Amino acid sequence: MWGSGILKGMAITMRNMFRGPITVMYPEQKLALPERARWAVAPRYDEEGAPKCTACLICVNECPDHVLNLEVSRTAEGGKHIDRYVYEVGACMMCGLCVEACPFDAIEMSHEYELATRDPHDLVRVLLRDVDAASARRAKGGDDA
Amino acid sequence: MTDEPRVTMPITAEGTTFPGPLPCGLRCIPRGVDELATEHLVLNMGPQHPSTHGVLHILVELDGEEVIAAEASLGYLHRGIEKLAESRRYHQVPTLLDRADYISGLHSETAWALTVEKLAGIEVPRKASWLRALLMELNRYASHLVWLGTFGMDAGAMAPFLYIMRDREMLLDIIEAITGSRMMFNYVRPGGVAADLPTGVDAKIRAWLDVADTYLDENDALLGGNEIFRLRMKGTGVIDRATALAFGMTGGCLRASGVDYDLRRDVPYCAYPELDFEVPLGVRGDNMDRYDVRVGEMRQCIRLIRQLIDGMPEGEPSGKRSRVLKVPAGESYAAVESPRGELGIHLVSDGGFTPYRMRLRSPAYFNLAVVDEALAGGLIADAIVTLGSLDIVLGEIDR
Repeated sequence: MWGSGILKGMAITMRNMFRGPITVMYPEQKLALPERARWAVAPRYDEEGAPKCTACLICVNECPDHVLNLEVSRTAEGGKHIDRYVYEVGACMMCGLCVEACPFDAIEMSHEYELATRDPHDLVRVLLRDVDAASARRAKGGDDA
Repeated sequence: MTDEPRVTMPITAEGTTFPGPLPCGLRCIPRGVDELATEHLVLNMGPQHPSTHGVLHILVELDGEEVIAAEASLGYLHRGIEKLAESRRYHQVPTLLDRADYISGLHSETAWALTVEKLAGIEVPRKASWLRALLMELNRYASHLVWLGTFGMDAGAMAPFLYIMRDREMLLDIIEAITGSRMMFNYVRPGGVAADLPTGVDAKIRAWLDVADTYLDENDALLGGNEIFRLRMKGTGVIDRATALAFGMTGGCLRASGVDYDLRRDVPYCAYPELDFEVPLGVRGDNMDRYDVRVGEMRQCIRLIRQLIDGMPEGEPSGKRSRVLKVPAGESYAAVESPRGELGIHLVSDGGFTPYRMRLRSPAYFNLAVVDEALAGGLIADAIVTLGSLDIVLGEIDR
């Protein structure tokens, strides 16, 4: 019968009406992100609260968009000192290559996804400021570094 | 005002003469109008028009409502991806290719991985091949869903689009759980894939498979089962077999014109030789055929995903991957069947850490080239539907 397809279509829209919403009321309710979701890069810290970064610069060289920058100086004892670890979150495409490349697990792709901001200065973040870099041994959490 | 003599013939409409000024305010009729001469109108469709998919600019020459000729003007989304790839190391290039075909990034990533592996002679574990095929099929289904929804919108059907986006959301959740991102995956790398399936995603895919058939049948009934939709699609936007071949069309558009060519079966790669699937074909090459072929492909997708998840082998998801991969000098080409057609990558290496030249053979570019042949002779309202049936992605066309 001509028109039966249209009636069937209306039945389907009726069926969908009773299926209930799949959306949530966003700012009040939030959906859980999967474990692997990649958002803004964040530094990691060891149990004592010291950053695990050893200032090896692998992440800086790895980033395809050059959004990471480490300003490193030498301490009096000859170790590395991180003056600033700058991360340009506004230009980051969250590919995760820096985190994959980090041999010390010192950075992670956090689940911070609300990255909109009113202040353009927030688009450049300083992840670490004026801290001593971890030694490779301490970063790996063992003696056989 | 010029001193040009005006035609002062009185207007005659069904025998009535109007000697006075015309209702529009003109005192005389402009020259030429008395001959009832009409001229063609050139209409700019896009690049900001909502009915064109993305920033596509089409110049349409109209005679009334009939399309006389059409020409696509490209380049509004050009980002120089091919050139940028020359300054990226081999494992960094997938981040660019995700943004070339942003609806189905895993296909271009896999094409890149296959090209590099071919030239560098890298063996890929069986598990990685299967994971790639699984992710590509999930991505193909998600991509066809976008096409199905927007195609319905082009024809004026709003409701299916919303249901289809709901279905796509389930798929994107699965893909996000596996790759870590919803659209910019960066998952397939030369040498394998970035990570194995996470725990729990298997059940998620099976839960989706349970409802996928029902939802697809419903969406198909809403569009393909609708008589008005079928009447509009039949016989419009016809691309015959010879034209399709002459323009180098591939994918669903080519198969709708009756050419039996699918890279998954004819030039097998990844896990496809071990899988069982059919290639839907069209006859006439009109919009209805392109619709039927793509919906048929979606049914095959569900079948393939079921096989892939059931037969997923054990093993390592990746062989040895290097951040400083050196590919020997030479050239290679590998292609995958993306939702839009043959997505091929031609790689020229000079033996360094970065490609010497990367060339993307984007299927939508070739499918769009036929726009003049497909649109001419039809009506302007059908032109929008025909354009939608080609399933173009501007990110890939402009690169």
